[in-house]
Amino acid sequence: MLSVLIPIVLTVNGEKYELSIGPTETLADTLREKLGLTGTKIMCNEGECGACTVLMDGKPVLSCLLLAVECEGKDILTIEGLAAPATGELHPIQKTFVERSGMQCGVCTPGMILTAKALLEENINPTEDEVREALAGNLCRCGNYKRITECVLAAAEMMQGGK
Amino acid sequence: MSQEFSIVGKRLPRADAIEKVKGEAKFTSDMQLPQMMHAKFLRSPHAHARITRIDTSKAEALSGVKCVLTHKNVPKVHPVPQVPGGKFEYLLDETVHCVGEEVAAVAAVAKEIAEEALKLIEVEYEVLPAVFDKEEAMKPDAPLVYPELGSNLYQSPRTIDGMLPLDWGDVEKGFAEADYILEGTYESPLQHHVSPEPRSVVCQWIGDKLTCWASTQIPQKLRLELSVCLDIPLSSVRVISTYSVGGYGAKDPEKTATLTALLAKRTGRPVRAVFTRAEDFIGTHRRIDSKIHARLGVKRDGAITALYTKMITNFGKGSQVANFVPACSAVDTCSMLYRYQNSKFEGYHVITNIQDHGAMNGFGDPEAGFCIERLIDEAAEKIGTDPVEFRLKNCMRYGDKGMELDCVAFGPIKWGIVGPDVDSFQECIQRVAEKARWKEKWKGWKTPVEVRGAKRRGIGVAIGMHHCVAATQDSATVKMNQDGTADVFSSDPDIGQGLRTAMAQVVAEVLGLRYEDVNVILADTSVTPYGPGVFGSRGTSLGINAAYLAAQDAKLKLFQIAAPRLEVEPEALEAKDGKVYVKRDRGRGIPIAELCSVSPQVTGNAVVPYPWRDERTGKEIAPVSVAATIAEVEVDTETGELDVLRITSAHDCGRAINPQIIENQIDLSVIMANGWVRSEEFVIDKNLGVMLNPNLLDYKLMTILDMPKREDMQEIIVEFPTPWGPFGAKGMSETATTTQAPALANAIYNATGVRIRGDHLTPDRVLEALGKTT
Repeated sequence: MLSVLIPIVLTVNGEKYELSIGPTETLADTLREKLGLTGTKIMCNEGECGACTVLMDGKPVLSCLLLAVECEGKDILTIEGLAAPATGELHPIQKTFVERSGMQCGVCTPGMILTAKALLEENINPTEDEVREALAGNLCRCGNYKRITECVLAAAEMMQGGK
Repeated sequence: MSQEFSIVGKRLPRADAIEKVKGEAKFTSDMQLPQMMHAKFLRSPHAHARITRIDTSKAEALSGVKCVLTHKNVPKVHPVPQVPGGKFEYLLDETVHCVGEEVAAVAAVAKEIAEEALKLIEVEYEVLPAVFDKEEAMKPDAPLVYPELGSNLYQSPRTIDGMLPLDWGDVEKGFAEADYILEGTYESPLQHHVSPEPRSVVCQWIGDKLTCWASTQIPQKLRLELSVCLDIPLSSVRVISTYSVGGYGAKDPEKTATLTALLAKRTGRPVRAVFTRAEDFIGTHRRIDSKIHARLGVKRDGAITALYTKMITNFGKGSQVANFVPACSAVDTCSMLYRYQNSKFEGYHVITNIQDHGAMNGFGDPEAGFCIERLIDEAAEKIGTDPVEFRLKNCMRYGDKGMELDCVAFGPIKWGIVGPDVDSFQECIQRVAEKARWKEKWKGWKTPVEVRGAKRRGIGVAIGMHHCVAATQDSATVKMNQDGTADVFSSDPDIGQGLRTAMAQVVAEVLGLRYEDVNVILADTSVTPYGPGVFGSRGTSLGINAAYLAAQDAKLKLFQIAAPRLEVEPEALEAKDGKVYVKRDRGRGIPIAELCSVSPQVTGNAVVPYPWRDERTGKEIAPVSVAATIAEVEVDTETGELDVLRITSAHDCGRAINPQIIENQIDLSVIMANGWVRSEEFVIDKNLGVMLNPNLLDYKLMTILDMPKREDMQEIIVEFPTPWGPFGAKGMSETATTTQAPALANAIYNATGVRIRGDHLTPDRVLEALGKTT
C-alpha cells in the first residue's frame, strides 16, 4: 500500500486546512473522516447517486469521485457551511426543506440542497422542468421528489422576495 | 374534522428536520470514537461450498490488522436464534449457502488495511451443487440447500408437507356457482431495499458492557440477538438507534452486529462496520420474488364466488421472518381484499442458494396484490363492467363473510376477523376516481384514452390493503420536566417515516403543551421501555398509541396535583395551552410548568392493551389500512417505453396526525413500487448465483425525471378513524406499495390491449407482450 502523504491546502466552509493526504483518498473521506464533516453523505461511493455532492468553487461536484489531492487550493462548501456563519440563520433552501418536509430519512438531503443552491445561483427563477433537470442526478430512495421540487421552487421565490 | 385539535392534524415541520438540513444528524456510519477500528468482511464467491482450508496467518501478520474471525474462532451460534427461519446457518459457517455469505471478518486500524487483509486470507472451497430458481429447487432431483432438512420446502409448525395452507369457506362449491372462471399465472420480481445508508454498526465495550449503535428498525430484537449470541445478559447490551436511516424493512443488522461486537471484544477497541453499496446488495436481505397461479370465480352479475391461489416464493438461504411474508399474502390480499366468499391458498416457500429474503414495504401484499389486481381486471372485463365499479361492488365491507381465523394462527401473529377498517375502501375508490377524472377518461374496455401514432395512452385502477399492526404490545414513558416540558421515551426508531414528529404531536396534544415543548427520545434499549420496533406499519397503531396513553397517564397525575389547589375533582380539569384549567371555569388554572416545578416527579407510563376485539363479535380483530390508485400511462408501442403521466392515490390513515408526513409516505411507496416493476432488475447469474449488477448504475432506482411532475402526483388522505388508534390514527405507510404495480399493468392493458402477467413492466417486457421481440 502507498504510504506517501501529500500536503494540500483546502478551504472548507471558509476555513483553511493544511492537510496531509494519501494519494488515493477521496474528498468525501477527507471531509468525513479527517474533518468530521459527516453532513456529506455516502450512499453509493461511486458517483451514481449524488448524495455526496458538495460545492467546489460554487459548482456541484461528487466528492466520492474526486481525489482530495485534486482539490488543492479549492474552496469547498459542505452542508455544514450553508447556514449564515454569524447568525446560524438557515439558507432559504434549508428553510423550505424544513417547512415543507423536503426530507424523510435525510441521506440525500445535503446533496439535494447543495445541488439546488448551485442551480439557484445560476438561475434564480427556474421552471419546474429546470429544477427536475438539475436534480436528475440526485437519487432519493424515500421518493420525496415532489416535495423537493416544491421546496426548491419555494426557496427561489423566497430568495427573489429579497429575503 | 381536525379543527378540534391544536396540534394533531397540522403540517408541522419534522422534529428532526433542522439537524437533517444542517448535516448535524449523526447517522451510524457517521460515528467516530477514539481508537475506533474498521471492520471488513470476506464473502463467499460460491453459492454453495464447504470450506476445506482457511489460513488467516498472512492477514494477521499485516501491520494494522488486530483481529481476524472465521468459523474456527467464533461461537457456534445461529445469528437469529429466536426465529425459526434464522436457524439454518451459523454465525460464521463451515459451509456457505450463497454468494456473499460471510466467511471471515477483519478489524484493522484503517479500512484500507482491513480491505487489504481480506485479500491475504487463503480459503479453499469444495464447491457443492447449488440451485437459485424457486421452481427448479422444488424438483425432486434438485440439489438440497440444507441436506439435513431433506427438502428445499420451508417447513414450520404451520406447514403441511412444506405447504402453507389457508382455506375458508368452500372453494369447490364457490367455483361450481360461478358463471365464469378466470385463471392465470402471474409473477412479481425480487427487489432490494437499497437503503440510502448501507448496513452500518458501531460497537464499543466498556468493562463487560456492550454499546451497539446500529441502523436498525428493531433495536430490542437486536439486543436479544447480541445477548444470546454473545452469552451475556440483556442488561449488558445497549443498542442505540437515534436515526435509523431508510428502513423499508431493510434495517436489521443481526449478524453484522454480532461479528462487529466480537471484533470489538477481542481487540478491546471500538469497531465500526459500514458496508459498501455492492456488499449491501448481496450481504443483506431482499424482497421475495413470487409466482402465483390464481383462479377466480365470478357470476354474470359481477359477484365473486371463490378465489384459489397457489403462491411459490423464493425463500433464499434463510430469513428472519420465517414464512410470515406469504402468510400475509394469504390472510390480507387473498382473504380480505374482496368479498371472495370462499378462499383457498397454498403457499410454497422454497429454500434456494441466494441471499436471505426478509421484510420489505408491503410484506407479501404487493406481491399478492400485483397478481390479484391484474386478475380482477380480467374478471371485470369478462363481465363487461367498468373496473372502478367492479371494485366498488366487490371490495370487502365490515360484516361480510370473510376470514375468521380463530383456527389458524401464524406463529406469534394472530389474525382476527375483518374489522370496520375495510369500510374505507368505498371512500378511497370514490375519491381517487373523482380526482383522477376516471369517468371522463375511461372510454371502455379495449378503448385507449388516446392514440397518437405509435403512442397510446391508457388508464388503470387497483386497490390494496395491508395490516397496520404487526402484533405484540408496545410501551412508552412520558416524563414531565420541572419547566413543564416533556420527554417521551419509546423503543421504536424513526427510520425517516416521521415517528418522532407524530409522537411529539400526539403527546403535545394530550398534555396541552406546545409541539416544541415535547422532546422524543427513541430506541435506546437501556433507557427506553420495551417496544418491538417499527415494522408491519405498527409505529402509529402501537408505538405512538403507547405514547398517547402514557401522556394520558401523566396528565391524570398532573390533574391529581392540581385538583386540591383548584378545589375541584381531577375529572373537572382539562389541559390546554400549557395550563391545567377547570373545564367549566376557564379563568381558573395553573400553568403546567408551575405544577411540575413543585412536583417534578410526574411520569406517565403505558402499555397498549393489544390485541383489540371486534365490538360486534368479541373476536380478535385484524386492523388494516386500505388504498386505491389510478395510473395514467403512455406506451410507445415501437420502443416499449412507458411514460407514467399521472398517479393518483387515496389512502386511509385513520387520522392524519401530520398530513405532510402522510403525503411523504405515500410518495415513498408509490415511487418504490414504480421502481420495483419499471426499472429495478436484480440480475442473478443463472449458473453461478452471482448478482451481476450490484451498483446504482445498473440497478436503476427511479429518478426525479422518471416520476410525474408535481401536479400529476396526487395524494389523497382518507380519514376513517379507527377505534383503537391514537386520535383514530393508524399505520398506512406500506399499503401504498400494494396498488401501484397493478394499476400500471392495468393502464398498459387499456393503452395497448395486451396483458402483462410477468414480473416487470420494462420496455423489453412491453415489446414482448406486443409480440415485437426480435
